[in-house]
Amino acid sequence: MIDAHLLVSGIIFGLSMGSIYFLTAIGLSLCFGLMRVISLDQLLYYAIGAYITYSISAAIGNLWLGILCGVVVGGLAGFAVERLVFLRIYEKDITFSMITSFGILIGGVGVIKFIWGLVPRPVPVPIETQLNVLGTDVPVYRLIVILIALLVYAGIWLFLNRTIIGKAIRAGTEDVENVEGLGINVYRLFTITFIIAGALSALAGGLNSPLIMVDPQMGLEVLAFTFMVVIIGGLGSIKGTFISALLVGQVVSLGSLIYAPLAQMAPFAIMLLILLIKPTGLYGSQLLKR
Amino acid sequence: MSVLKWWSGLLVAFLLLALLRVFLPLPFANEIMIFSVYAIGCNFLLGRVGFISFGQPAYLAVGAYGTAFYLFYFGTNPYIGILIGIISGFVVSLAVGPLFVRLRSDYFALVNLALAVIIFFLMQKVLAGITHGDDGLWFLTRMDSTPVLDLTQPDQFFIFAFLIAFAVWAFYKYIDDSIYGACCLGTKINEDKLKFLGYNTYNIRLLAFVIANTTTALAGSMYAIYLGFVSPEITSPARVADPIVVTILGGVGTLYGPIVGAIAYTGMKDLLSQVFGNWELIVGFLLVFIMLAGEKGIWGTLAPVLERTFTRLTAPRSAPAPRTEPGVKGT
Repeated sequence: MIDAHLLVSGIIFGLSMGSIYFLTAIGLSLCFGLMRVISLDQLLYYAIGAYITYSISAAIGNLWLGILCGVVVGGLAGFAVERLVFLRIYEKDITFSMITSFGILIGGVGVIKFIWGLVPRPVPVPIETQLNVLGTDVPVYRLIVILIALLVYAGIWLFLNRTIIGKAIRAGTEDVENVEGLGINVYRLFTITFIIAGALSALAGGLNSPLIMVDPQMGLEVLAFTFMVVIIGGLGSIKGTFISALLVGQVVSLGSLIYAPLAQMAPFAIMLLILLIKPTGLYGSQLLKR
Repeated sequence: MSVLKWWSGLLVAFLLLALLRVFLPLPFANEIMIFSVYAIGCNFLLGRVGFISFGQPAYLAVGAYGTAFYLFYFGTNPYIGILIGIISGFVVSLAVGPLFVRLRSDYFALVNLALAVIIFFLMQKVLAGITHGDDGLWFLTRMDSTPVLDLTQPDQFFIFAFLIAFAVWAFYKYIDDSIYGACCLGTKINEDKLKFLGYNTYNIRLLAFVIANTTTALAGSMYAIYLGFVSPEITSPARVADPIVVTILGGVGTLYGPIVGAIAYTGMKDLLSQVFGNWELIVGFLLVFIMLAGEKGIWGTLAPVLERTFTRLTAPRSAPAPRTEPGVKGT
C-alpha cells in the first residue's frame, strides 16, 4: 500500500496541478460557452503570463508583482487578439476558430522565441517554508496556488450570478439572439469574456512558473491536458470544469505514485470513456443553435 | 476522349512533380512525396466530410510502427513491411472509427488528439520494452535490397513514393467523381437532407474515416522505410498541427491542395529555419492570414485563375464552363 506521507503530498500536488488546469481551462470553457469559439490561443496567454512573471520577478525580485503584470499583459493580449481576429470569425463554423486560434498559438510561440530565446528559464519559488499537514511537510506555495484557484472559482461564480454583466453572459450562453433582442450589446460581452479568459490563463501561467521551467513550448505541453479538462467537464460549464480539473489533477498525481507511465495516459483514457458514454461531458449541455 | 480528359489533370500535375525532382535535392523531394500522401487523408476528412482531426499523427504512428515491428523483429522485405503498416492502420481505424465518427466535429478533433497522446505515451513508456522508448527502432541495415525497385536507395525510393502518390491521387480523384464522394460532401454541407434521401450518414462517415486514416498509415510506413527508423517523436503533441497546416496552406478540399501545401510547407520549413531560425512565427501568422482571407489556401486561390486562363486559351469564344463543386456533376 502507498505510504501515508506520500499519499498526502500526492493529493496536495494533484490539487495544485488541478488548480492550474482549472485556471487555463476556464478561459476555453467560457469562450466556448458564450461565443461558440474554441480558443486555443488561451495557451498562448498562459505562456505569456509565465514569461512576464519571469522577467518582472528577475528584474524586481517580487514574484507576486510579476504575476500581476502577467495577468494585465495576458488580458491586454487577449483584448488585442479578440479585436483583430476573433471579431471577424464569430459568425463562422467552430472548426474555423479552432484552426485560426491554433495559428495564433503557433505564431505566438514564434514571437516568444524571438523575444526570450529558446533556453528554458527557472523562476525562484517565493515562499520556501513547509507546512505540516497530517504529519507531512507540504510546500506552502502549492497551498497558496490551491487557495487562489478556489478564490477565482468563487469570484467567477459571484461575477456570473450576482452582477448584471455576469447574468447577461450567462443568458448569452443559453441564447445569444434573445440577449441581443433585449438590447444588450453582445459583442461587448464577448470582449469582456475574452479579456477575463486571457487574464485567467495568464494567471495560471504566472502561478505555475515557479513550479516548472518556463520555456516557449509550455503552452503546447499543457494543451492536451487543458482540452481534456474542458471536455470531461463539458464545454461551457464552469462547475464541470472545476470538478474535472481537480479530478484530472488527482489522476495524474496519484496515478504516477502507482505506476509512472500510467499517469500521462490515464486521464486520456478517462476522457475517451466519458465521451463515449456521455458525449457532452459531465456537466455539458446540448449544443444550442446560434 | 473523356477517359483522357479524366487523367489529363493528374498526368500534368505529376509530370510537374517529376520535373520538380530535377531541380530539388533528393531528400527534399522524398519528404514532399511522403508529406503530400500524409496530408491528403487530413484534406479528405476536413474538406469532404467536415471532420477536423488533431490526431492524424496517431494513425501515422500506427502505420510506421506496424512497419517497424515487422522489419525489426520478423522479416526483412520492405514491401511486406509497408503492406503490414497499411493493414495495421486499417485495423486500428476500423476499431476506433465506430466510436469516433458518432461525435461532433469539435469533439472528434479532441478525441483524436487524445488518441495521438495515448499512442505517444504508449510507445514512449508503456511498451518501452518492445519499442525501445525514445531511442526508437533502427532497422535501416536490416532491410533487404529488392530486385525491381530497391527501397533502400533514396533515389529509387523516390520513384516508388512517386508511383504510390500517383495511385493515391487517382484513387481520391475517383472517389471525388463517384456518388460516394458526393455523399461525403453531402454529410458536410447538409446532413439532414442526405438522411432524407435515404442514405446512412454514419456508414458514409465511417468509410471516409477508414479510407483517410489508412492512407495516413500508408504515409507512416513510407516514413519508416525512408528514414529506416521510428521513434515516438513521430506522434508527439507538438507535431499534431502539421497535416492541418499543410491542408489549409494548400487549400481545403481541393484535389491538388495537399501537394502544393506540402511543397510550400517543407520549403518554408527548410528555407526559413536556415535564414530565420523561427519558422513557427511565419507559419502561424500565415495560417491566421489564410483563414481570415477566406480559407482558400494557395491552390484554392490559384486554381480558378489557371482554369480561366486555360479555358480562354483553348476556347476563346465559348462561355466559361459553369463552376460546380467537386464531386457534384455539372448540370
